[in-house]
Amino acid sequence: MAFNAVSFTVLVLLFALVTVVGFIAARWRRAEDILHLNEWGLGGRGFGSFVTWFLLGGDLYTAYTFIAVPALVFASGAIGFFALSYTVMVFPIVFVFAPRLWSVARAHNYVTPADYVRGRYGSRGLSVAVAVTGILATMPYIALQLVGIEAVLTVMGVGGSTTNAFIKDLPLLIAFIILAAYTFVSGLRAPALIAFIKDTLIYLMIIVAVIYIPMRLGGWSHIFGVASGHFAKINPLTGKPIGSLVATPASEWAYATLALGSALALFMYPHAITGIYAAKKRDVIRRNMAILPAYSLVLGLVALLGYMALADPTVTAGVAAAGKNAQLSVPLLFANMFPSWFAGVGYAAIVIGALVPAAIMSIAAANLFTRNIYMDLFKRDATPAQQTRVSQFVSLIVKAGALAFVFALPKTFAINFQLLGGIWILQTFPAIVVGLYTRWFHRWALLIGWAAAMVYGTVAAYGVSVPGEPGTHFGGSTAPILGHTVYIALTALVLNLVVTIVLTAIFRAARVPAGTDETEAADYTEDLPSEPVPVLAATTAGSAGPAGVPGPEG
Amino acid sequence: MSPSRSPGKSPVSWTVAAILLLAAIIGSLWVPIYARTTPQIGAFPFFYWYQLLLVPAVAIVSWIAFVLIRPRQGPARPPAHAADRPDRSDRTQGR
Repeated sequence: MAFNAVSFTVLVLLFALVTVVGFIAARWRRAEDILHLNEWGLGGRGFGSFVTWFLLGGDLYTAYTFIAVPALVFASGAIGFFALSYTVMVFPIVFVFAPRLWSVARAHNYVTPADYVRGRYGSRGLSVAVAVTGILATMPYIALQLVGIEAVLTVMGVGGSTTNAFIKDLPLLIAFIILAAYTFVSGLRAPALIAFIKDTLIYLMIIVAVIYIPMRLGGWSHIFGVASGHFAKINPLTGKPIGSLVATPASEWAYATLALGSALALFMYPHAITGIYAAKKRDVIRRNMAILPAYSLVLGLVALLGYMALADPTVTAGVAAAGKNAQLSVPLLFANMFPSWFAGVGYAAIVIGALVPAAIMSIAAANLFTRNIYMDLFKRDATPAQQTRVSQFVSLIVKAGALAFVFALPKTFAINFQLLGGIWILQTFPAIVVGLYTRWFHRWALLIGWAAAMVYGTVAAYGVSVPGEPGTHFGGSTAPILGHTVYIALTALVLNLVVTIVLTAIFRAARVPAGTDETEAADYTEDLPSEPVPVLAATTAGSAGPAGVPGPEG
Repeated sequence: MSPSRSPGKSPVSWTVAAILLLAAIIGSLWVPIYARTTPQIGAFPFFYWYQLLLVPAVAIVSWIAFVLIRPRQGPARPPAHAADRPDRSDRTQGR
């Protein structure tokens, strides 16, 4: 693809701006000892509603939103909109359980989801299982970010056309190194502050796109008309229509289970839980669940870019020329529709919107390893400096693992990367979410249920071939069961729960030791300011009361 | 949800909030409700405008649920509350 100096310059300038902000972030609400994980990893646990909104939005809306979802809509139509349904459902679901998780984490100073599981069930095996799952599931999610950045760079003609693998990936590598550097300096403060810029760019880009592009393409009726006609064509490989404009009866189960499974899985990811832990007050979380849907609206509008791309012959020709790589559709649309400088703004929004979450994800995964595998199993008395060194090393491994996913998995639909991660991470749901309400599940039953579901989910996903390419693996994330096509993550979760319930009954009857629970009922409803001020604390019994001192940003 | 119930709120508030949230989820989960093209708004098939409208609707529903079950808002002077409920102040020690 042709190199455009103007677009490239705009992208580099915006990236430089973000880099400077990333380093400055270390001074923002500066802490005395940034080496402490509460400071470095959770921004001092002091983020109010406003910052939490940007942070959660910033790490949840990623290349998934801007590349993977429109690509699926571009190629298959209605089914891609399950992502909108998913982001509609996710906030009411999280609204219910997240405040309890926040409270118990605050009461016991938990930094990772596995910390909580260890404290709740007194089982190191279970907490290691949760940590391993978190690290494993994060890798394909980061891989999705890399595929998204790659798509933008390919369309920009940066590196993408050369055959030298090193030069091809050099721009991506440089961006990643800069990002890693300021993340280490500033910790969670960097992505929180950068999220302001990132989201401004994204909102600007999407508002312009949904108003300006349809006007140039001949209006929405033309766009939907082209899509409708296109999807009615028969795919010679499968003998079925290419896609559909509205979910078909045959795809309703896939649509609903993909949405529900993704919604249940999202806040099991270590980086999303980090965003919850970092909130200042219990109230902040529920209030945010009511205002975060603003991001869902953006996701829905961005998904429509897939149809706009379909209605633009230049884009469809470009995608076909690049080996039917649907991930290129949105960047190609920008290149063809916008003046060069604004295309640059759009590219920057996508690239920054992919790099920032990739950083948060790798930090969260590295913290999981350091706290719940390295310290719990090998070196309990690790100094902060040792912990940091381990985290640095592991965050590199996590990124390398993400690259391995990029190379190993079929890239027909990048969205499958995220869905594969969802299959794995959802299997921590019984231990984390059900555990917030009841201690009835037995720790060993949970562990065996988890293992059974992980094996089933992985084998089932391995068995799915790319449509029209028999013999390939990990080509999709849905599989037929009981006459319906269902997201494998949900099937595995049901298996997980059944095994856990049956074995819990057996273990309890056999009086197998259940482990020590260090949490108390009251821990789950606490709403304390972080400094233990006895007089203040008395007001917070049972989560009532005005919840402490007004914070710096209200 | 009863364990996270705050003392100042009635079970009615919790029930209403739970029903609202459940309705929001079902409105999106039950695909046959909206898997059709008509009625259209402008060029938008029902399938699309329904789901896009559902986003602000769920946001409003969540906000109502938040207001219904949020902890009682008192004056921001903690000592008044400390006098109301002097229990459990010991819990904050030793962390």
